[in-house]
Amino acid sequence: MASAPSKLYADDVSLVVVLVDTNPFFWSASSLSFSQFLSHVLAFLNAILTLNQLNQVVVIATGYNSCNYIFDSSSDLNQSFENGRMPVMCSSLLQKLEEFLIKDEQLSKEVPEGRIKSSLLSGSLSMALCYIQRVFRSGALHPHPRILCLQGSPDGPEQYVAIMNAIFSAQRSMVPIDSCYMGAQNSAFLQQASYITGGVHHKPQHLDGLFQYLMTIFATDLHSRSFLHLPKPVGVDFRASCFCHKNTIDMGYICSVCLSIFCKHHKKCSTCGSVFGQAQSEAASTSDKKRKTPET
Amino acid sequence: MPQVKIIAKNFMDMVASLPAIKLDMLYRNQFICEAILRSMPPLAKKYVLQMLYIDVPVTAKSLEEWVLADGSSKHKVAIDRLIQLRILEVIDRKKETSYKLNPTFQTNLRKHLIYGGILPREPMPSNVTVRLPTSEELDAYAHEQWECFLLQLISSGQAEKPTNFSSSMMRIFQRGLLCQREKEAPRLTESGFQFLLMDTNAQLWYIIREYISNSEEQGVDQADLIAFLLELSFHTTGEAYNMNTLTDDQRAMIKDLSDLGLVKLQQGRKDSWFIPTKLATNLSVSLTDSSSRKQGFVVVETNFRMYAYSSSKLHCEILRLFSRVEYQLPNLIVGAITKESLYNAFENGIAAEQIITFLQQNAHPRVAEKLPSVPENVTDQIRLWETDLNRVEMTPAHFYDDFPSRDVFEAASDLARVHCGLLWEDAKKMRMVVKAEIHMLMREQLRGQNK
Repeated sequence: MASAPSKLYADDVSLVVVLVDTNPFFWSASSLSFSQFLSHVLAFLNAILTLNQLNQVVVIATGYNSCNYIFDSSSDLNQSFENGRMPVMCSSLLQKLEEFLIKDEQLSKEVPEGRIKSSLLSGSLSMALCYIQRVFRSGALHPHPRILCLQGSPDGPEQYVAIMNAIFSAQRSMVPIDSCYMGAQNSAFLQQASYITGGVHHKPQHLDGLFQYLMTIFATDLHSRSFLHLPKPVGVDFRASCFCHKNTIDMGYICSVCLSIFCKHHKKCSTCGSVFGQAQSEAASTSDKKRKTPET
Repeated sequence: MPQVKIIAKNFMDMVASLPAIKLDMLYRNQFICEAILRSMPPLAKKYVLQMLYIDVPVTAKSLEEWVLADGSSKHKVAIDRLIQLRILEVIDRKKETSYKLNPTFQTNLRKHLIYGGILPREPMPSNVTVRLPTSEELDAYAHEQWECFLLQLISSGQAEKPTNFSSSMMRIFQRGLLCQREKEAPRLTESGFQFLLMDTNAQLWYIIREYISNSEEQGVDQADLIAFLLELSFHTTGEAYNMNTLTDDQRAMIKDLSDLGLVKLQQGRKDSWFIPTKLATNLSVSLTDSSSRKQGFVVVETNFRMYAYSSSKLHCEILRLFSRVEYQLPNLIVGAITKESLYNAFENGIAAEQIITFLQQNAHPRVAEKLPSVPENVTDQIRLWETDLNRVEMTPAHFYDDFPSRDVFEAASDLARVHCGLLWEDAKKMRMVVKAEIHMLMREQLRGQNK
């Protein structure tokens, strides 16, 4: 695929892109406070960087309205030294995070009420993939990349198409997406993302011990994964969202040409424009109202 | 000291062989903990992280449950390494083995994870206006210095500017690499050839190892040196650090290190500074890493001709080890890989694989992009020529003849056959050749019959 094996470093050099959920709607209701969460994550980032001199960490904040890079170990660590007692990494990360949160909050005032309080996962996933693609293309040698989503907010069904596209492009470039879901309900998006790309999905039972979960499961480099017992997917939620109303559905109509999903019968596919035939006699379809229709 | 067998041996093996008390002392230094963690196999690193916040001993059984069945060999290697480095303490209780992390190591690593990597010492403040070398200049300096040292090492006469190492020191480095017969120019030994074909990092470790074991004889504590070297590798390349922050021993050592090209010394108006180069910061990187890979210079063509874009004398010397150098232009060395030149190399104890890896590692960027970077017919031929030499296999054996009777002969040949030691027999003339291992057995049997 995109990466020729000869261009890789030794076995366990990794590039970890961490997507941190900063959605205030989730963190205000969570049992683990955001600052505690951050201290777990910072220690985890430190651990990754400690493991190998060539390891690289990139942090992307996933906000409610926007997302942005807040830390990149390849550039930020070389910057001038802070005189305070706080290490360079924490201070620069926290500073950028604060700037990001203020900006994100300003944007949210324009958003109407009533939508699901999800965060912009699709955006940060795409950013992560763009970053990885850039790494693939630059330089002769690059580390094994992987993405880790630390997500708490519920899925936003309106992002379904964008997220699925990101997942498939990650699969194509062989980038595993690990996901650690900290919210109440399990996330179908993240389960699917990890399942399709060969990453690990886990929902920690006790959030207080998040660090141990991160170390035990998500600090494992891709090389060692083939020797270790890691959580296996159990019952992945494969439900899709329809393209017309962004609802999560069990059964629906699929366009036979472009495989777009709809919850109701349409005359024309809104994605590719193919004209559908009549839904077979209305009487027949009342008995099993929702079904996949392979009619042209 | 008998001849040192040169394997690309990790520096960490040396650390692991330190006595327990010294190791425990080393772990008091946070950088060393980090460097040692980095040097371990991936699984071992993983186990350390996993056990970092577990305060009770973990049983060996539950540790084994972490791995899948086909990873058990890797698991064993990782655990052995951890025990060797005394990072895991073994607690045997009621037939059940359990492990616990070394407490000093554990606290230091925890501190490191929480507070992040702190630099060992402050670099030169930016308000001091001294021109620092650019990273290219620094790389060039390190490269030149190292090459100069190597050239002096293999042939003392050829170096343009001799390094400050005393000749006794140089002799210590040469021990095992060169052998000198009376009134003859010193010749490279088998391990000397292998040394030249190793990559820079491996060579550096070899020299450092000799250096350290030599300093031990002079009464400098080995652990201190190791600690300083590892610490040095955590400095930032290209930043200047004040010499005043060093102890006396360290100051003496840094002069030697600058001769090797690990640091560049710079004299300021009031203070003197040292600037670590890439060679120094790569010290704690494990040997397999290609991060230190230099720009290659060799192009090998399918017709066995070799073009090396280099003006370095050292490169020329190295290429001469296994090829016939034909022309030497200011920036180009033209040679050919021939059967004779290779046989020469094999005789000197260089293996075909070593030559091939050398050619591959030093491939010119133009050809390095291609796969394979060295034409397949050339690599195959090099291997074939090597196996040509191995067609004859030697087995120590004894030759028997003059058997008194056919019965004795047959009994003896049966005995040899039973013990799988019969190599050849001629029943007519009653002669046979038997492996040396069973000679004693045969002798006893024959003696018994003679009586």
